[in-house]
Amino acid sequence: MAVKKKAQIAVTFNWVYILIAGAVILLFFIGIVVKQKSISEENLATDVVRVMESIFTGAGVSEKTKNFVDISGLADYTLFFGCSEGVTEYGISGKGKPVQNNIDPIFAPLELKDTVLVLWSLPYKLPFKVIDFTFVSSRKSKIYLMGNTPFINEFINATSGFDNIEKINDVSEIDPARNYQFKIVDFSGGQFISQGIPSALSDVDDNKVTAVVFTGQDQVDYYQKEGQMWKKKNKLPVRIISLGGERDSARFATIFAGDDKTYVCSMGKAFLRLRYLLEVYQSKLTEMKEFYETDPQLMAGDCYNYISDQGYEVNVESSLRSLKNRLDACLVNFPISYDYCTEMVGAAEKLREANANLAERGDCLTLY
Amino acid sequence: MTETIAVLFIFFILILFGIMFYYKYQGVAFKEKQEELLGARAMDTTLKVLFLPEISCTKGEAEPEDNCFDMMKLRHANETFKKYITKYYFNLFSYSRIYVQEVYPEQTQYILYDKEIPFLEDGTKGWEKKEPTFFTVTLKDESKSAIIPHYGFGYVVVEVYL
Repeated sequence: MAVKKKAQIAVTFNWVYILIAGAVILLFFIGIVVKQKSISEENLATDVVRVMESIFTGAGVSEKTKNFVDISGLADYTLFFGCSEGVTEYGISGKGKPVQNNIDPIFAPLELKDTVLVLWSLPYKLPFKVIDFTFVSSRKSKIYLMGNTPFINEFINATSGFDNIEKINDVSEIDPARNYQFKIVDFSGGQFISQGIPSALSDVDDNKVTAVVFTGQDQVDYYQKEGQMWKKKNKLPVRIISLGGERDSARFATIFAGDDKTYVCSMGKAFLRLRYLLEVYQSKLTEMKEFYETDPQLMAGDCYNYISDQGYEVNVESSLRSLKNRLDACLVNFPISYDYCTEMVGAAEKLREANANLAERGDCLTLY
Repeated sequence: MTETIAVLFIFFILILFGIMFYYKYQGVAFKEKQEELLGARAMDTTLKVLFLPEISCTKGEAEPEDNCFDMMKLRHANETFKKYITKYYFNLFSYSRIYVQEVYPEQTQYILYDKEIPFLEDGTKGWEKKEPTFFTVTLKDESKSAIIPHYGFGYVVVEVYL
């Protein structure tokens, strides 16, 4: 009888042992699956930002090209973009390590969630090409344009195919539909600001409703929804530093930038590149001068007078020097010194004029 | 009892095989990934070089000339790249060697950028592999005649280090 009882205990013990061992093995494999899942998500985030980096490189150099990138695999994730102290950071919110880029000026909303990413680039010229600006948007990032200025038509024509840009006459025409975020761009002085948030957007999250108001020919203000009111984000108007004309990339950038800080930060990258580029052009100018100085006949001609600061009033040498001095003042305490950067425009215009004079002659070397 | 031990032994042997296979696979996958990244970096760097405003040919407000380097800028660009390598250009080109080999009319080589991965503590070189990419370019030289610019040709070599 005693033997039977012992056997019963042994059989029960074996089952308990098997159960425990089975549970441990099961937990082990569950652990591996969970770990692999989190590793895969991190890898996906890293792969995505790496691919984005390559796309931005391609988009950045292929001037004036629009790229529509299918990111439907990331429809559940939020992409973020930021720029501070001259470094742009972008990636997937809360996943993986973000990419840091201190070279390319990228103008993008602070957050994006969509299935199609829209990328576009335009060269920034002051007066020669400095760098390509990359603009990032998405189909569900709706941009409403208000006002009466030829720039609106230029913007709409230039961004054809984006499918997220609409001209409206009044904020009451806004229909949120299924869009993710909204930006109102106003060229008529921003009277709608005092009326508060348009009723169609009153239930949308604060961080998804922004506004850009052109308050003068070359300056803008950035606004953000705060409850049912607009909150101005910049203390001083944000100046547009460009030579104007068609396809003015600095002006386009104000619309694509997430806010005033990211705009100024990305402009800073362009100015830094300009500093290095000016040194190359300075060396080219020295070689141009040497070319004319070897021949007294050439030295006495118009070409040399347009080049040398000993020649005509508007000449390449003094304009280039002036541009460099103004750029130094602009970068001395950037971004606090951003407003000093506007002074570069005059010098750049003179350089453009001197270069155009050289080109017009037909037999002169030109700087760019 | 002996049977249980035998089963457990075989079970752990199988687990061990699984782990060994996994690590071997991970090692191969890591190497493949590195090579893929190196190739992508080589392409990205080449693309950046071809469109560099520091060396590209321009003509006033018109579109820049594709795949063309301005010799009057090219001859001096390396001084700027060298001067600001840590501050700026390393972030653009990373560890790489970029040079332009002139083929016609002369055979001059212009080294634009050269930053090798530093040597290791034991004195061995810091890189295992380099991936060269070649691209044909025209070389515009206006210093020979202001009226009709002289066009030569050559190729740009971008070598990225791993």
